[in-house]
Amino acid sequence: MAGVAVDTGSGERLLLEHVGCPICGRTDGEPIGVGEDFEYRTAPDTFLAMRCRDCTVLYLDPRPAPDEMGRIYPDEYHAFDFTESEFGVIHKVRSRLEARRLLKCIGDVPPDARVIDVGCGDGFHLDLLRRYGRSTWSLEGVDLDPRAAAAARRRGLTVHEGTVEALGLPEAAYDVAFMIQTIEHVADPATVLRAVSRLLKPGGRLIVVTDNTGSPDFRVFRRRHWGGYHFPRHFSLFNDRSIRKLAGRTGLEVVGVETIVSPVNWVYSIRNLLDDYGAPEGLVSHFTLSSPAALSVFTVFDTAFTMAGKGALIRAELRRPA
Amino acid sequence: MSTNDDLPVAVLGAGIAGLVAALELQRNGYPVRVFEAAPVIAGLGGTHHDDDGFTYDMGAHFITNRLAAAIGVSGECRLVHRYGETVHLDGRYVDYPNGLLKQPRFVASALKARVSTPEGDPTTAAGRFRRDYGTALADTVALPLVEAWSGAPADELAASVADKIPTSIAHTMLLNALARATNRAISVGYCWAQPMTASVFHVYPEHGVATLCERIAEQLPGVIQVSSPVQAVIVHDGQVQAVRVHDEEIPVRAVVSTAPINVLPRLVEGSDRLDRYRRFRYRPMVLVNLKLRGRNLLSDVVVWLPTGFPFFRLTEATQSMPWLAPEDKTMVLCDIGAEVGDEHWTMDDDALGEYCVDHLEGIIPGVRERYLGCRVVRTPIAYPVYLAEYEEDRLALKESTGIDGLLSVGRHGEFSHNLMEDVYWTTIDRVHRWIADQKAGELLAIEAEERAAAVGDDEANPVVASGTRDMPRA
Repeated sequence: MAGVAVDTGSGERLLLEHVGCPICGRTDGEPIGVGEDFEYRTAPDTFLAMRCRDCTVLYLDPRPAPDEMGRIYPDEYHAFDFTESEFGVIHKVRSRLEARRLLKCIGDVPPDARVIDVGCGDGFHLDLLRRYGRSTWSLEGVDLDPRAAAAARRRGLTVHEGTVEALGLPEAAYDVAFMIQTIEHVADPATVLRAVSRLLKPGGRLIVVTDNTGSPDFRVFRRRHWGGYHFPRHFSLFNDRSIRKLAGRTGLEVVGVETIVSPVNWVYSIRNLLDDYGAPEGLVSHFTLSSPAALSVFTVFDTAFTMAGKGALIRAELRRPA
Repeated sequence: MSTNDDLPVAVLGAGIAGLVAALELQRNGYPVRVFEAAPVIAGLGGTHHDDDGFTYDMGAHFITNRLAAAIGVSGECRLVHRYGETVHLDGRYVDYPNGLLKQPRFVASALKARVSTPEGDPTTAAGRFRRDYGTALADTVALPLVEAWSGAPADELAASVADKIPTSIAHTMLLNALARATNRAISVGYCWAQPMTASVFHVYPEHGVATLCERIAEQLPGVIQVSSPVQAVIVHDGQVQAVRVHDEEIPVRAVVSTAPINVLPRLVEGSDRLDRYRRFRYRPMVLVNLKLRGRNLLSDVVVWLPTGFPFFRLTEATQSMPWLAPEDKTMVLCDIGAEVGDEHWTMDDDALGEYCVDHLEGIIPGVRERYLGCRVVRTPIAYPVYLAEYEEDRLALKESTGIDGLLSVGRHGEFSHNLMEDVYWTTIDRVHRWIADQKAGELLAIEAEERAAAVGDDEANPVVASGTRDMPRA
């Protein structure tokens, strides 16, 4: 999937590259959403979310070239530092909920289990496993971004800085791997899944959590403002069908796929819409990760959809064949 | 089987359609060569900058944020805040479409047309417009415009001329209201291949429309040959074999032509299947761009003139794209439907400028004092003319040219009224239909080989004997 540079990168424009479907490589996708970096305004460009006519996966095409990562992930990017001091009560509530989910996923693993979180960001999830899980587990994280890795290390976590494909981590060594809201960010999801699969012991499990394009929030906002687009940082976006297809392509078995509750895409879709149409900052700021009211309302809202199998996030449990 | 797999696909013409086709083929691993007759690329998608600070694009182009994003030029585009059309009728401006609906005579005849039950679908543009709009509106506005624009009587034009009118009045009014509320020129009726929504609006490159072709061409290094007209497309047994360029025969796997469909039969050697397209007609036009002092001299960006003027349409592009002219100046483009060699076609440029100024006095008072000069473009192929007599052949062309390995794409190649974004998506679609055929062919060949191999008799089977050839990639 070598990209072709389509911009000289001068001035403020992003250097872009063309790509095809991340699963099958087809290049004649159907344009679904067209929008901008509403959240961070890192670039003046407009981005296009294409849907593969076979795989139904959504992908950004063209997308920022690898050289632009430092720019599209600015220093204030939330995944680098979701700290308690910054986010207060929301941090507490989210921590409890996430911890319960993680432990449920991890299930029955041996006391000496080795667990890896690929795309660990500031180490939020690893920290929860450390606090609420067994103290005998060995926990490690991987993140490409030095700022994220540094934030996680400040929490006293073990973090490998680089890409999982290139780090040379021990193969067939891990019991469980997590990719929590990571797969949508990576340039080549199939290569990453294969690499993670190699790290797993035979029968070891990979839990993938990502935005769900089979959800009502996607349907309502897909033309432009959907929070899950996170233009231009989400390169591939999945639904039940496409995540299964990707797993199949990479030799992983699908144990199960389900949807889970998240208010975030609802809240950010509304935020993006308000921001796009020039709503006053005072109103826009009520629809972010630091607005308890909006997050609570949409948690209730999305719970109803999740019960109908259409939650805002999708969670796939995959397994390296024994 | 794979003797011609490594041969390039030849693309005729480096306008937007040819370049999009070439890039799409290249992205899918097919070697391509683009041959452009002119010394520069871009064709109708070219831009001219003059010494007085005016930027001229050839005719009017409609570019959406979706098209700009797809090509990767959105960072060089500016938002278009307003776009609107007006009809100039009996000496005054009438909004399109709302103003027309306020005139009792038009409403009455439109309602009458709605309640009467016509027998069967009309086959000509005249019949279709009268049925859809009522006789008064059709005869006063729609038909005179269609005739001026096409150069043919409305009862000789196919009914499909009327196909591309906005979806429904309600949808149009909703999008127009949203456009006003959001201060964006939402695209209503400028792309039919993809959905029309409030999130798709007009943008325009800061440095003119040529930016689009330039960006695509950058991704085709070493592929485009200018000043290289294709002299012939050589066909054998209904299959494209080669092209002739600079008197040299170049074997090709396929040809993607953007040439006017009535020119293509003259290039094809070895088949007469395209001869029926020789009679297809394009409407020539003389485009006179007047440079004027002042701004906002017309009531809207586009003004339609059904009767009483030598031009049928005026466009003041600076109302949408203010940066295309110096601050206190503007451009008004006068579209004159013509025939090659007629009095307008042969008039010299300065005389054409004066002639347009003379006729504009009733619309732009004091236009003579504002007049600074003009730039004239004559094109023999401004619009395809959908004559009823060849409508059936035109529809067949949507499927294929009838020659294996010969695709005809773009506005001229498809003989369609497609605007720029439609050209983009339909070209990609056509290229992929061809790619799908190639892959199906490869699969069949592999299956045939496997069957032959299963028989296990190498000597008796020539396919297996040649089985050392490269396997197509899965």
